[in-house]
Amino acid sequence: MDRMLYIAMNGAKQNMLAQTANTNNLANVSTTGFRADFAGFRSMPVFGLGHPTRAYAMAERPGIDLNPGGLNTTGNPLDIAVDGDGYIAVQAKDGSEAFTRAGNLRLTSTGLLINASGVPVMGDAGPISLPPANAVEIAKDGTVSIIPQGQPATDIQVVGRIKLVNPPASEIYKGNDGLLRLKSGEIPVANANVNLVSGALEMSNVNIAEALVNMINSAREFELHVKLMKTADEHAEREMQFVRLG
Amino acid sequence: MAQALWVGKTGLEAQQNRLSVISNNLANASTTGFKRDRILFEDLLYQNVKQAGGQTSQDTELPSGLSLGTGVQTVATQKLHQQGNVLQTQNPYDIAIQGFGFFQVMHPNGSISYSRNGEFQINGQGQIVTSSGYPVQPAITVPPNAMSVSIGKDGTVSITLPGQPELNQIGQIQLATFQNPSGLTPVGENLFLESAASGAPQIGVPGTNGLGTLHQGSLEGSNVNVVEELVSMIETQRAYEMNSKAIATMDQMLQYLNNNT
Repeated sequence: MDRMLYIAMNGAKQNMLAQTANTNNLANVSTTGFRADFAGFRSMPVFGLGHPTRAYAMAERPGIDLNPGGLNTTGNPLDIAVDGDGYIAVQAKDGSEAFTRAGNLRLTSTGLLINASGVPVMGDAGPISLPPANAVEIAKDGTVSIIPQGQPATDIQVVGRIKLVNPPASEIYKGNDGLLRLKSGEIPVANANVNLVSGALEMSNVNIAEALVNMINSAREFELHVKLMKTADEHAEREMQFVRLG
Repeated sequence: MAQALWVGKTGLEAQQNRLSVISNNLANASTTGFKRDRILFEDLLYQNVKQAGGQTSQDTELPSGLSLGTGVQTVATQKLHQQGNVLQTQNPYDIAIQGFGFFQVMHPNGSISYSRNGEFQINGQGQIVTSSGYPVQPAITVPPNAMSVSIGKDGTVSITLPGQPELNQIGQIQLATFQNPSGLTPVGENLFLESAASGAPQIGVPGTNGLGTLHQGSLEGSNVNVVEELVSMIETQRAYEMNSKAIATMDQMLQYLNNNT
């Protein structure tokens, strides 16, 4: 059997994986704070006797797109977005600390501030916990102040500060739960220069035009690989015709 | 795989950006002192397959080369600082600038910001502040027993106190101009910050040295030309459709190649 068939099959299979990554980006075009994934291909030549004339392809996710998404002003005081560079530190479901750009916060019955993924926002020492309050306000530097329940509107108390971080872009990767972490595994320190905007949400940074063109491109490449597989099949049939007796 | 797909993609992105700028202009068509943006495009680098002027034989050379373009990119959004319409409001703290110059406002981050929005108010301590509460620079405080406030064309702020017919001058509003006002960084809230591109501010008395004059009781409206924005929107939509047609055509060509050879 001509080995061209296996290379074409490998191309088609890796192409389908890249299509999956691309469709994931498209599906998350309205998700708050979503960072688009890049799908890359790497060439894997086969080394054996003679020259490495066969090269397989491998699809991988080399990184994520850290460009800012659009800003949607909602007017909701608990919606926060990072103005410029920076991230909001959260506590992931497994207890480790991660960071994200999604700031669609709400209060739970126990006083935790959680975002839409259900992860609580970190303060200076652990997740921020608020006493029962009539109104909550989040300032530009992350300071959370409340009007406690049962107090007049002039009694504003500062109850904590959201931890905001700004690690270098080259160290960031996206974990399996969609939260961002550092490749070295260390926890980033709080950065006082990160500013928040209250009443706004950062939308997904998926570039729709690019995602659709990627889809068209991948679809045509897939057709090309399938065509190669058909060609390999025809070659094999011709070979059989030569050696068929009678 | 096919260059035309990626070139078409840059066209789609550029038109999307243009529509963002147009819709921002339209959203701010009633914002006092708003200056409209204009998006600027430029073509991306060309891939030189054959250099123009290259030798084809001993004595002849190519009259034009083979350069393939790679698309369009958005290079800048330029704010146009034409004068907006002046509206009469009869409100004593509304000031319109007729001509060049910006009001100076103390931004909460400690630096001076600049604005054309003259909708001022008095805060609890009597200071003249913007609608967000940022004080005008140089700070002017109106005493609580002032009966009327008048602001002259040269920026002098005078009040009348009860029992005294003469006007008491309590301060003067000064304007700042820049070498390149389009280079100011807009930070929202109708405010601009100085940048390396705008040059240093030249502070002066209104009416002198080419600075504009102040008119109390009027406001400068937005300088957005709604008709122009709507026509640009039509052009943007059609250009977007044309770019997506180019992508669809390339797609069909590849489909034909895959299915018919």
